[in-house]
Amino acid sequence: MLDLILFAIPALFVLAGALIVIFAKNPVHNSMGLVLTLASLAVVYITLNATFVAMVQMLVYAGAVMTLFLFVIMMIGVDKAEQTREEIKGQTFLVLGTLILLGSLLAYVFINSGFKWDLWFPAVDYSIEGTPDLIASTLFTGWVFPFEVISILLIVAATAAIALAYDTKSRKDDD
Amino acid sequence: MIEVTSDWYLTLAALLFSIGFIGMMVRKNALIMFMCIELMLNAVNLTFITASRHFGTIDAQVAVFFVLVVAAAEVVVGLAIIVSIFKKQETASVDILRSSKG
Amino acid sequence: MEYILLAVVFIPLMVSIFLNSISSLLNERLTTFITINAALLSFSVSLLMFGALLLEKFKPISIEMYTWFPDPEIKFEFLLDGLSGTMMLLVTGLGLVIQIFSTSYMSGDPRYVKYFVYFNFFVFSMLLLVMSANFLVMFFGWELVGLSSYLLISFWSEKKKAAKAGSKAFVLNRIGDFGFLIALMMILNTFDTFSFKKIFETTLLNQPENLDLIVIFLMIGAFGKSAQFPLFSWLPDAMEGPTPASALIHAATMVTAGVFMLVRISPLLQFSEISSILIISFGLLTALISAFAAINQDDIKKVLAYSTISQLGFMFIAIGAGAYVAAIFHLVTHAFFKALLFLGAGAVIHEMHHEQNIHKMGGLKKKMPMTAAMMGIGTLAISGIPPLAGFWSKDEILASIFAKGGIYYGFWALSLLAAFMTAFYMGRHWLLIFHKEPTNNIEEVHEAPKMMTRPLLLLGIFSIFIGFINTPFFHGLEKVLHYTLSDVEITHLPEGIVLVILALISIGAGFTGLGMAYLIYIVDIFSYFKFEIPFLKEVRSLSSEVLYLNKVGHYLFVAIPKSLTRKVAVVVDGLVIDGFVNGVSSLFYKSSKTISVTQSGLVRNYVVYFGLFLLLLVSLFVATPLIVL
Repeated sequence: MLDLILFAIPALFVLAGALIVIFAKNPVHNSMGLVLTLASLAVVYITLNATFVAMVQMLVYAGAVMTLFLFVIMMIGVDKAEQTREEIKGQTFLVLGTLILLGSLLAYVFINSGFKWDLWFPAVDYSIEGTPDLIASTLFTGWVFPFEVISILLIVAATAAIALAYDTKSRKDDD
Repeated sequence: MIEVTSDWYLTLAALLFSIGFIGMMVRKNALIMFMCIELMLNAVNLTFITASRHFGTIDAQVAVFFVLVVAAAEVVVGLAIIVSIFKKQETASVDILRSSKG
Repeated sequence: MEYILLAVVFIPLMVSIFLNSISSLLNERLTTFITINAALLSFSVSLLMFGALLLEKFKPISIEMYTWFPDPEIKFEFLLDGLSGTMMLLVTGLGLVIQIFSTSYMSGDPRYVKYFVYFNFFVFSMLLLVMSANFLVMFFGWELVGLSSYLLISFWSEKKKAAKAGSKAFVLNRIGDFGFLIALMMILNTFDTFSFKKIFETTLLNQPENLDLIVIFLMIGAFGKSAQFPLFSWLPDAMEGPTPASALIHAATMVTAGVFMLVRISPLLQFSEISSILIISFGLLTALISAFAAINQDDIKKVLAYSTISQLGFMFIAIGAGAYVAAIFHLVTHAFFKALLFLGAGAVIHEMHHEQNIHKMGGLKKKMPMTAAMMGIGTLAISGIPPLAGFWSKDEILASIFAKGGIYYGFWALSLLAAFMTAFYMGRHWLLIFHKEPTNNIEEVHEAPKMMTRPLLLLGIFSIFIGFINTPFFHGLEKVLHYTLSDVEITHLPEGIVLVILALISIGAGFTGLGMAYLIYIVDIFSYFKFEIPFLKEVRSLSSEVLYLNKVGHYLFVAIPKSLTRKVAVVVDGLVIDGFVNGVSSLFYKSSKTISVTQSGLVRNYVVYFGLFLLLLVSLFVATPLIVL
């Protein structure tokens, strides 16, 4: 019972947040919905025994990424409302078609096996804790190469961002 | 007693992914499309964590790490691009970008 | 002794090659000297051989030159018997006479040497044809004769008409040769050899089933060579060539090759009823059509051309009726008086400065008495007036047809009609040229040079006396051909009073024809009696256009294929093939244009495509999960 409630409430919030993201008109409302989703997801991670990942998610995503988003929204997107009328020809049909396909796929899956899906590999009966030392011991031994690579990636991303947004014309000569 | 198995979490991830995808198709504002991408990435993260619990391995959570880092980097670069394109425009709509037509 | 046979055949060839190789060194006199002497030598040697044959009582002399293939047996061999001996004498003798005439007629022509090269080559080919002992050597000669004819017809190749006429002759000849070739293949298949002797011996004992077909195909070959219906339209056009060449080839020798060949295969022919009927029918049809066409021709040589076709028809009628001796007899006499008529026409043309329309002539007998007299003799001979040559041979043919009885009575009546028409148009021919009051100025016209008139004189004398070689009183030719036709059933003449009556009837036809020509064209009897012939103009044009047969043939075989090929070139090549090739490229272009609609440059479109494809993959996975495993 407790498991169920512990799963259901964060799940509902996740979905609610996602729906807000795609339906809201004001971009700020959208970002708020995204924050709701991310936070609820962190809770879900905790119920799955991935505590460290949940914390990192809160820090990086809900903290840094969303801040960036809000900055940019303030800079360019706030008071411009979006047209709801579809301009691209045939887009409506394509979207409807995809939706129908998606709906039928999901319906098919649910009708066939309900919630009892045939996951080919059975679950293990022990549970592991997502503690920092466990993660660290795998990250810095088996996965050290990707770790180094993504650090380079971060540097490249930062440099790229500066290069892209740098406006040399409006910069005055005094440094 | 209903047990919360991995199915449920996978369902949730699938729904989250679909919502993000639909949002991408429907919305025109570049920033909101980006947020939908974030939704999809998070759905993937959830799948990974579920797999970690299901198989009893910690490697999946390490993978989540990497996805997180890459998503962050991607947001940085993407937002920089959006800023540089849409600084001078009236709207932030992606429909005005047609130079790769044909 | 036999090797002299080879000399007869190959001397003309060597002369031809010799003249051709040193042609740049020669002038007119030297060429004349070489060729006339060679012709004299040829003729003397053939006389010698004929004499030898005579002493042997015409038992054949044969010589084998070279065995090409042992089994089935294919050799190069030559045969001299009565039939080939007669032809040999004819070819070399007439060749000599006509060469003498040509030295004067062609003098001044820039390609004088070339003419004699071709002439001697022709004589060689004709001798090859007549002296052959098997079908293969005969076919060589057959083809080479066609080639020489083409070379001589289109001798003055600057004239487009001459070149076209040469091609036409060659093509129509070729159609006949196609029949001959098929017959050759059937012969080799049936008899396993080409040799005449062996084939005739085998056929005498038991006839093969496809004998009818073989003979019919050989007959087609003869039709092509001897200008019978329907392959005759090349001969009038062949008059574009030099007149002495026409005299030799299209009067005396090449066109008679068909007749010769059919007599040669008479042992086969006698067993094939259907081919005899076909031969006589086509011969009769040809004789009547061409005689009718000759009545209203304007060109001096074309009258003679149609006359030749008509007389060849007579020879074919004789063969069809089984009178082989009569056919050869008529061949010999016709050779003389037709050559005479052609050479005379040549003299007239030469003196009238190449004017060939007979309506523009007239009264020439005062200016060219010798020519007029000789051509008069020729005209009388061809009309069948005794005691000239033509009477004996033509009468023998008519009598032989009559002797067969039954349906042949009808054939006899029609042949008599053709003979009447012959006399009529030949009379018209001579009268309009020589007797009628002149319409043009003929003051400068004088008699032809001696080198022309002397051959005319010689031929004229022969035309008078050659008939006596085979009269009902002295069967000279029959004795000559006896050995050749020993196993053949020949139609014999009727006896006694029937023969005399028949002779009188044909003489009457001849005189009537000549008389009518005189009355109509000189005295103009119709306007005298104010007698209007109905449809005169239509009948006249029907005659001059050869019953519009030439037009029909042209339409069928030239105009229709031309338009058809043009359609094919435009439609098939242009539209279909080019359309296909262009269509392939435009298909690519259009399809890529259509597909590039999906490249809209819009992000949201791409998202949708992405999602759709992903969904499809997932659906596939859900539907058949085993694939991935």
